[in-house]
Amino acid sequence: MSRLRMARPWSSVRNNGAVYLGFLLFTLIVLLPVYWMVRSSLSAGSDLIQLPLIYFPRPTQQNFKTLIEQVPFFQYIRNSLTFALATTLVTLVVSYLAAYAFARIQFPGSGVLMWILVLSMALPDVGTIVPLYRILSRLHLLDTIAGITLVLSSTLTPFTVWVLVSFIKQVPYEIEEAAIIDGASLRQILGHILLPVTMPGLVTMGLINFINAWNNLLYPLSFTTSPSSKTLSVSITEVFAGYSPWGKPWELIMAVGVTMTIPVVILILFSQRAVVRGLTGGAIK
Amino acid sequence: MHQVYAQGDVVYAKSRPSLLAFSKATRRRYVLFVLLVAPAFLLRLTTAAYPILQTIYLSFTNLDLIKNTNAFVGLQNYVSMPNDYGVRGALYFTIMFVAASTVLELVVGMLVALLLNASFRGVTFARTINLIPWAIPTIVAGYAFRWLLDDQFGLIPYWIHQITGVSPVIFISPSSARLAVILVHVWKDAPFIAVVLLAGLQGVPLDVYDAAKVDGANVWQRFWRITIPLVMPLTVTMGLFRLVWSLASFDLVYGLTFGGPGVATSVLALQVFREGILFFKFGFASAISVILLILVGIIGVIGLWLFRRVEVVY
Repeated sequence: MSRLRMARPWSSVRNNGAVYLGFLLFTLIVLLPVYWMVRSSLSAGSDLIQLPLIYFPRPTQQNFKTLIEQVPFFQYIRNSLTFALATTLVTLVVSYLAAYAFARIQFPGSGVLMWILVLSMALPDVGTIVPLYRILSRLHLLDTIAGITLVLSSTLTPFTVWVLVSFIKQVPYEIEEAAIIDGASLRQILGHILLPVTMPGLVTMGLINFINAWNNLLYPLSFTTSPSSKTLSVSITEVFAGYSPWGKPWELIMAVGVTMTIPVVILILFSQRAVVRGLTGGAIK
Repeated sequence: MHQVYAQGDVVYAKSRPSLLAFSKATRRRYVLFVLLVAPAFLLRLTTAAYPILQTIYLSFTNLDLIKNTNAFVGLQNYVSMPNDYGVRGALYFTIMFVAASTVLELVVGMLVALLLNASFRGVTFARTINLIPWAIPTIVAGYAFRWLLDDQFGLIPYWIHQITGVSPVIFISPSSARLAVILVHVWKDAPFIAVVLLAGLQGVPLDVYDAAKVDGANVWQRFWRITIPLVMPLTVTMGLFRLVWSLASFDLVYGLTFGGPGVATSVLALQVFREGILFFKFGFASAISVILLILVGIIGVIGLWLFRRVEVVY
């Protein structure tokens, strides 16, 4: 009978064996890879190649120290942060303006324009890297954070506009109407009147875009070559390409992996609801 | 009814204006609209529309930075494709990968959504950790699983050995490497599908279930006849976005197998990256991009068709 009740969020199924078994299995499958990554990043390299496997190693910070010594680790962290924050900001500003226009100014054809913009998210990003390489090189933006910020902001804009339009449409028009009658300018409306009420939507899309940018591999890997613009995602591929005497330096690869995972997991833990709201296109209110 | 509000430099209309009423106020609304959407469209035109057109053009050339050739060669890139070992393998696995992982993700996603919709102690915890696989950088997940599945010191082969006595070498045979790529993709993406399905489940009106129950529908009938159809529209929409994105992404394969063994797990996106960015064969890489674009188009059309079929009003 449990299946029926599951469709009811507040029903009284408690201590149901099947549910708890599923919960246990689910938790194990989700968290095991994460634990293994953390465990490997805190192990001495020589402990990773012991049989039987060591489940709980004596933790060491050595791998992170090695990374700091051998690669410009803090520089990469800084680059990743700059890239992710800049992309988030540019995407939000550009999308907020467009979403406002689509939500509030309607005329024949404006809906079509919006769908053209939204559907352009289906263009496979990898299919444009060759021309983008040439465009960025012509603009002298190759191997710069500004360059990869520009292209990724563009990629993230359609989905952001789509979600923000639904958020703005939920705001009663009467608030702006009153402000317009009181003589508010466009800047005042966008900046002071609509902004606070659209904040949940902006936070949601800000989080999703930050995670997307922080995780992005394609653009930094294709368009950056020097330490001043490479990101952590490029760095992990380079650490992987290296060899230690006992094969791949898994303790270092996992240390970079953990460094890349910590910020996004913290964001998820604190803002699960906001992220879910965005992932479902604003379907959950 | 046609309301126009004008004040200072802002002009608004609440309802659709008629085309005939092309007053000064209407004109200012158009100008305002254009100004607001201009940054977004400018970005998309310069970094998406124009590059895609250029990709299509380049696919008819033999532009190659290493061989230093750049001439119009017509369909030569496309004609040579069936003989290209890499592209053939990648096309085959791309289709297999997308089909298998979509089906599996929907099944696993539904199971997880049902779990997350149940009420039990720990459901908030489950909902929170559910998003972790989605949030972890794909390239990191790729490397983490490559390590977990390592033939010598990987945890999973180690467990398999302890239970069965056999030591599997996952990345050496095409079939197990493919299975690994598909399952890791499911691990990474099913949570996302689950979140979307959960949103659908929570939107199903309870009285519909009650009515069905009164009419004597059993649990399975209620699940298949009520739950599934009602969560379909949202699932198809979000599933489609996801599908199209995963078609174009190469991060997972890049980290997990880099297409190996041979090209058994290579995908078209990885092939574009290899030929274009690693070997500078811009013309040929562009032709593969066009194939990818066509594939996205086909899936988009199927998706739209599906969407129109599953739209339910309740």
